[in-house]
Parts: sequence; structure tokens; C-alpha cells
Amino acid sequence: MGFIAEGLHKALHLIFSGNAEIFAIARLSLAVSVLATAAAVLAGVPLGSWIAVKKFPLKKFLIALVNTGMGLPPVVAGLVVMLFLARSGPLGFLNWLYTPKGMILVQFIIALPIITALSVSAMQSVDPKFYQQVLTLGASDWQAIKVCLKEIRLTVLAAVIAGFGRLVAEVGAVMIVGGNIRHQTRMLTTATVLETNTGNFDTAIALGLILLMLSFTVNLTLTLIQQKKAPR
Amino acid sequence: MIKLSNLRLGFDTGFSLAVDALNIREGEVFAIIGPNGAGKTTLLNAMALLREPASGTLEIMGRDALAPANKMFLRRAMAVVFSQPYLTSDTVHYNVALPLKLRGENDPAAVGEALELFKITHLKDRNAKTLSQGESHRAALARAFVTRPKMVLLDEPFASLDERVKDSIIRDLRKVIKATGAAVVLVTQDQGGALTLCDKLAVLVNGRILQQGEPQDIFSRPVSAEVADFVGVETILPGKVVSQQDNLCAVEAGGLTLQAVADCAPGDDVFVCIRPEAVSVSLGADAGGRRNNFKAKVVAVAPWGLEYKVELDCGFTLQAAVTKQLVDGLGLKPEARVYSSFKATALHLIKRAI
Repeated sequence: MGFIAEGLHKALHLIFSGNAEIFAIARLSLAVSVLATAAAVLAGVPLGSWIAVKKFPLKKFLIALVNTGMGLPPVVAGLVVMLFLARSGPLGFLNWLYTPKGMILVQFIIALPIITALSVSAMQSVDPKFYQQVLTLGASDWQAIKVCLKEIRLTVLAAVIAGFGRLVAEVGAVMIVGGNIRHQTRMLTTATVLETNTGNFDTAIALGLILLMLSFTVNLTLTLIQQKKAPR
Repeated sequence: MIKLSNLRLGFDTGFSLAVDALNIREGEVFAIIGPNGAGKTTLLNAMALLREPASGTLEIMGRDALAPANKMFLRRAMAVVFSQPYLTSDTVHYNVALPLKLRGENDPAAVGEALELFKITHLKDRNAKTLSQGESHRAALARAFVTRPKMVLLDEPFASLDERVKDSIIRDLRKVIKATGAAVVLVTQDQGGALTLCDKLAVLVNGRILQQGEPQDIFSRPVSAEVADFVGVETILPGKVVSQQDNLCAVEAGGLTLQAVADCAPGDDVFVCIRPEAVSVSLGADAGGRRNNFKAKVVAVAPWGLEYKVELDCGFTLQAAVTKQLVDGLGLKPEARVYSSFKATALHLIKRAI
């Protein structure tokens, strides 16, 4: 048990001494997950809303597909993205393999079905007559979707929280696509795995604690925004 | 303004809407009445371009309303108010200004005017979700008229309101309609509300328009038993015309011979329609010149709005609407013996298709 206490003590020292490498890793983790979440929100919320309000053939099939995507194993996503980004792959010309851009791409792919599926379900909770009413006020389809999204912003924010939570804790995909290269693509999760494997428990605990704090801070911020808007 | 012909619209449930012709003119208030499930809202949704018909033509403001290219233009020329106000969770001012915002316009004067027209200026900074039902409906109507629409479609706009609130909103709505000159289509089950507002009326039953025209004509001369039943003709009897002279027909119905002014020939099978308001009840035999006068027995007396409805047995069941003073004055109660009378012009004959 002593090594846990010792690890914790060292971890706190690492955090509060302002270890540059650890903070660089934390910054990268935050940047990758926030950017991937933002991209997934920008794409997934309109996509999910569109799927929800429009009638088209195979709509139910598409919703089932998106729902299945919510459970997409990150390592599978990582493997596929790696194959695409590899020098000989179809997207090899981008040179994104083992770069933060590649990690953002794979995290975007993981978050997109989560945010899309939750947006479908949130938008379907809007009374179809409300949507029709907005159309009759002179709105285009996108304007009507925007008005409806404003009405269900709390639920959409919950989708954002879920998406970010999944990404910030994700390890397999970024490990494969990013390669866990020191000073370049090392994330809090991948670094924690590495430090645990090499027996540096103090650093691993420090990284884990920072990850928890980071996740908590972002979620707290989102939750405060959400609850501020929630009816009492 | 709105012209539709041979409009067909089907549902998976088997219900179908089939309207052969409907023509709503500029500045006209056209009410479509009918029972629940008659297809009124479906018809209104087709006019609001929310449901595409399977076939037929729909012309609005001289344009083909079914052409996708005209959809946005026409939608922005009209306004729709549903039975629920469907306001957003913002201020009343924001809600009323929303149609302008969606058009990329900013016209505070128009918003102020719309709020004023429906007497909700004092509520403009309130969250719309905190309004009472009546206030919400006023906000929805202000929102509908803020763009000065050429047409306004109202779908059961007073359905969830109590009588007092409904009357006050109808009063204001009537003024606004007159002032703006918009063509209004009002879809409702509420015949009273429809009659207060409309210039023309159509009766829709089972997805078919059974009669359209001046409200007075429809209420006094329904073309079928279904229309008569819906518009509140309480007594409908099958009968046969036995003689006719100078438009005065003798009709055998319910074991009696009734006199009716109608254009029928002897031998015609008809439905005799008698509205309760047309029936007089007295203790004496003097019918005051009314051609139809029969001995009757009171079967039941029950309140009916501000009046009373008296069910009489005069060989057939006859409903009469009388004032409370008359009920008290004549001592009308079950088993009382009275005379019932009605004018030959008060009877409406509908030819029966046998």
C-alpha cells in the first residue's frame, strides 16, 4: 500500500511544481478532445437534427446505423483511420499519421455518431407540430431546426458532455493513430498507460489525476452552463 | 386567393380527403366546420403547404402552390395559428418578432402594432412560457399578424379556451381581420365561433365537403341529413311529399301531415328538418298563423346554453328551444300537455336519395 501513498505524494509534487512536460501533455489532450468534440458537434448536431425532422427512405435504418456507431470500439476506429492515413493509404498524402491532426480525426469519428444519435433523439422529442409551426412562420428547414435546437439546448448540451467525456478518456484510437510520441502526440491517457507499463506509478498517478481534474473542469463548466439555463 | 380543385390526400389508416372544389376569395373569412376526424386539419395543412396532396391542384395568390419553387414565397405570404400556440421559451416580444427575424427583417413598429392589436403590449417582456392560455393565444395571433399576411389559416384556434376568454379574443380577432383585409380560413368544430367570424362556410364530413356557401343558407337549408345533423337541426324526419301547390307542400312524416314551403313534387321522399329555435310552445291552440300546429306532450326539459330545450312528443319527437321565462310561465315539465307550432317556412326539406 505504501507505493500508492508515495505515488500520490510524488504526483501532487509533479502537479504543483509545474512540470513542463506534464502540462504540455495536458494541453495537447485538452486541445485534441475539445477540437474533436467541437467538430463532431458542428457536424453531428445538424446531421442528427436533419435526420430527425426529414422523411426519407431508409430513415429507420440510418438511425439504427448511427445508434450502432455510438458503440464503435475506439481501437477499430483507430485501426481504420491508421490504415487510411498510412503513407500508402488513400489519405496518406495528408501526412496526418502520428500527428495531433490524425488524433483529432479519429476522435471526431468516435464522437460523431454519439452526438448525431443523441441529437436525433433530442430533436425527435420536439413536438412535430412545433416544428411545423416554425415552418409556417416563414422559416426555411435550417432556420426551423435552429429554432427547435434553441428550445432543446439543454439536451443538446448533454450530448456535448457525453461526447467530450468519451473522447477525453479515450486511449486505444489515439495510441494507434498518434503513436504516443513524446513531445508530439503523447496524451494524458496514452502517457498514463506508458508510465504504468514502465512502473513509474507516481507519474502515472499524476497524469491520471490531471486527466480527472481536466475532465471534471470541462464537465463542470458545461454543466454550469446547462443548469443555468434549466428551468427551476 | 386560394383555389383548389380535385384535391386528394390519403392516409395509411384508409382515411382519405377528397375536395372537388374550394375557392376562397381575397378578404373573405371562410370557415370549414365538421366533426372530429372529418379531415379539417388535413385540409388546412394542405393549404399551409405542410402536407403534399396525392393529386389535384392548389393555387394560392395565382401561383401553383404545389411547385417547390413557390413554396417559400407563399409560406411567407401566409400565417398559420394552431390550437396550441407553440411559442418558444423566450419573451413575448421575441416570439412576436420571430417571423420578421426569419425573413431577415427588423421592424419594431410592426411588432409594437401587433402587440397592441391583441392587447399584450404589457406582456412583451414576459417569458412566453409563463403566460396564461388566453395570453398565449393572443401572442400566437399577434405573431401571425405581425408580417401583415395576405392569408391567415386558423386551426381550431379557440379549442382550449374558456367561453369568456374565447369571446374576447374573437372580438379582437374580428377587428384585426377587418382592419387588415386578410383572407382567413378558419377550421373548427365550434359553430358559434365560426358563425361569429365567417362570411362563407363549408361543412366537411368524412373527408368530403358536403355543402358550402353562405352560413345562413347552410344552417337554414342543409343539403343532406349529415349536414343537418352537424349544424344542429335537432329534428330530422323521413317523410313523403303528398301534395304540392304554389310551393306549399304537404308532407307526411311521423304520422302527421306537415306544411312546408319547398320546391318538391308529390311523391318525393324527403327528410324534414326542423330547428329547435323555430318551434313555439304554448298552452292554447292558437298557433298565431303558423301552418303547423299540433298537440304535444312534454317528455323532458333540460338547460341548453342560455335557453332550455324541451323534448316534445307530438306523434314524433320534436325539439324546441325556449326561454327560462317560458318554461316557468307555462309550467313546462314532463307529462305537461301543450301545443307546438312552427311556420311552413321554418321547415327545410332535403330530397332523399332512395
